Amino acid sequence: MKRRTFLGGAMAVAVVGQGSRALAQQSPIKIGMSMPQTGGLAGGGKASLLGIEIWRDDINAKGGLLGRKVELVVYDDKSSASETPAIYAKLVDVDKVDLLFAPYATVPTAPIMPFVKQRGLLLMGNFSFQVNSKVGHDMWFNNAPWGPADSWAASFLDLAQKAGGKSMALLTADQEFAQNLALTARDVAKKRNIPVVFDQSYPPNTVEFASIIRALKAAKPDIVYVASYPPDSAGILRAVNEIGIGDDVKIFGGGMVGLQFAAVMSNLGSLLNGVVNYNTWLPEPSMYFDGTKAFFDTYTKRAIEAKVDPLGYYLAPFGYAMGQMIDAAVGATKSLDQKGIAKYLRENEHKTIVGPIAFSADGERKETATLQAQFRGVKDKDIEQFRSSGRQVILFPDKLKTGNLISPFEAARK
Amino acid sequence: MTKHRNSIAFWAGVAIFLVAVLSMTQIVRNEYPFFAGYVILQFIALAVAWSILGGYAGYVNFGTNAFFGVGVYTAVALFKATGAPLVVQIAAAAAVGMTLGFGVGLLTLRMRGIFFSIATIALAIIIETFVMNWRFVGGAAGIQLQRPPVMAPFDSYVKMLFFVQAVLVVIAVGIARYIQNSRIGRGLQALRDDELAAECTGVPTLKLKLVACMISGALMSAVGAPAAMYLQYADPSSAFNLTYSVSALAMSLIGGTAHWIGPVLGAILLGSTQQFLAVTISSEINVLVLGIMLVLFVVAAPKGIIGLLRPRYRLRAGGKP
Repeated sequence: MKRRTFLGGAMAVAVVGQGSRALAQQSPIKIGMSMPQTGGLAGGGKASLLGIEIWRDDINAKGGLLGRKVELVVYDDKSSASETPAIYAKLVDVDKVDLLFAPYATVPTAPIMPFVKQRGLLLMGNFSFQVNSKVGHDMWFNNAPWGPADSWAASFLDLAQKAGGKSMALLTADQEFAQNLALTARDVAKKRNIPVVFDQSYPPNTVEFASIIRALKAAKPDIVYVASYPPDSAGILRAVNEIGIGDDVKIFGGGMVGLQFAAVMSNLGSLLNGVVNYNTWLPEPSMYFDGTKAFFDTYTKRAIEAKVDPLGYYLAPFGYAMGQMIDAAVGATKSLDQKGIAKYLRENEHKTIVGPIAFSADGERKETATLQAQFRGVKDKDIEQFRSSGRQVILFPDKLKTGNLISPFEAARK
Repeated sequence: MTKHRNSIAFWAGVAIFLVAVLSMTQIVRNEYPFFAGYVILQFIALAVAWSILGGYAGYVNFGTNAFFGVGVYTAVALFKATGAPLVVQIAAAAAVGMTLGFGVGLLTLRMRGIFFSIATIALAIIIETFVMNWRFVGGAAGIQLQRPPVMAPFDSYVKMLFFVQAVLVVIAVGIARYIQNSRIGRGLQALRDDELAAECTGVPTLKLKLVACMISGALMSAVGAPAAMYLQYADPSSAFNLTYSVSALAMSLIGGTAHWIGPVLGAILLGSTQQFLAVTISSEINVLVLGIMLVLFVVAAPKGIIGLLRPRYRLRAGGKP
């Protein structure tokens, strides 16, 4: 009997305690997302998530959104398109999250676009490529700096033509992102009357590129546009190093995925020199905005513990920026009304740690801020060198430019 | 007489199941159970289809993803070309899957055991490479699809797909049950135990293997077809994901392959666990849990769940006492 009385009392105290705590502070604002934490996209997904978590901690330290704490609800989508529909249905229908962020990359995002459109939900995109072009959802905002679909190839070909490039070779991985890049590259080349003298796709997981590079060299192109994935980016550069690419080549690179990640960069070392490749953020003087340095100070510390990319330039600051945009929009509209937030995001320019962001009608950046940068003076086996400026000189866009192209490619390699 | 009574009980169960699914789509408003339930039903149908060849005949097929992906892309191609309705997509996928199954069946002429399994993996890779280079269906870049309007009595497309998948489960189970109790099933069991002896005693082994491959293939592809509309997106690496092969195999083994109920139980157990883990633990540990489950079942219950539940099924499993 005594024990029962005690238990009853304890439960009553617990219940009252809960109640008073609930009264003292409002329920948190929940932001839901899936993120690739296993599978092929996991490396990027984890770094991106760390960026978002740093924003959450910063905003909560400042008192949260609308005076409420921010809580993230994150599930692993295993880098697969088939997992995300169920996850987002759970986030919306069961977890009742207040806002949605998209998972990193195009493949897991594509299946949820029709879902959010049908439900009229705001979705903050996370580095997917042209997923909204066919769906046409007016509450989609991509944090990636891509901009208009053809700007990627256009900026590279601009540089190439200025350096005297007249014919193009295209080397593309048979995978989603690379094929999308190649499509736009072909279009832009056609518009500018640049003949494509070599156009080769190779299956994923190709390791030996010697024969492909020999064939490419034999076609004698001036411009070599490569759209590849991490393992093949390394394979291609090794083959180029062994066989050479010819003195005609003015510019080499463009869309090589992997050369943004610390592990791949330190592994390739001096083989990177001369390559002109896309990037999203680099430690160049033109890239520091309000809060950028503080973000990377925190990131560098937490990356070790979280076992993610030690540099984190490619994705993490954009995860943070996604949060900053939500912060600005919720603050300005003083509500969680998704239509209102979407209207604010569409109509205003937003200050973020990756620079000002403005959206066009399709939810992509109004202007591209995708960098084209040339690797210079890179030594072997040293991650730290990439933290200093001058290792990747920004050639495009003009606003952020920190140097000029060194051409031809063979000269730039030395 | 018992057989007759069993049949009545089975079809009554099927009717109750379908009515329950249909009323669920009409009553439940929250859509999440349908998204998650669709995936579980899809795996039940896949596991049952796999066990027709892998369980009854003992030919371990690692190419479930090939058949599944063929189903997805048949639906995509047909939908893009003609805007064909879902039923036509599924029927066409089944026909293509059956043709592919015929090809795989012919492989069994020369290959057995591990060699057959390796050949089925190769098949998946070949077809995936083909689709990657087929621009009409999006190639490696994938393709986004717009669902047509939903048909009455359903108020959302996912609910309709959930019901369609339930019907496919019923068809798969119905066929598996029929095969198990018929001459085909007994013939398949005979050739699993000793193909040469079966051939010598007059079992038409090649014919049976072809039939099993074609039925199994047709079912797997039919199951894949609605996935295109479920995701409203298709890309080769997701459609031909090896997970489908591994899961179908693991579910059948965990459930037990001697009886059609085995893969059903295995798929419900493993499929629900996967769905549950995806939204609870949600990290690498999730994969580890599934791995441990599989190891435990292989060690502790080599005949699967049905071997544990009903020892008499052990006798049926190929006639070994």
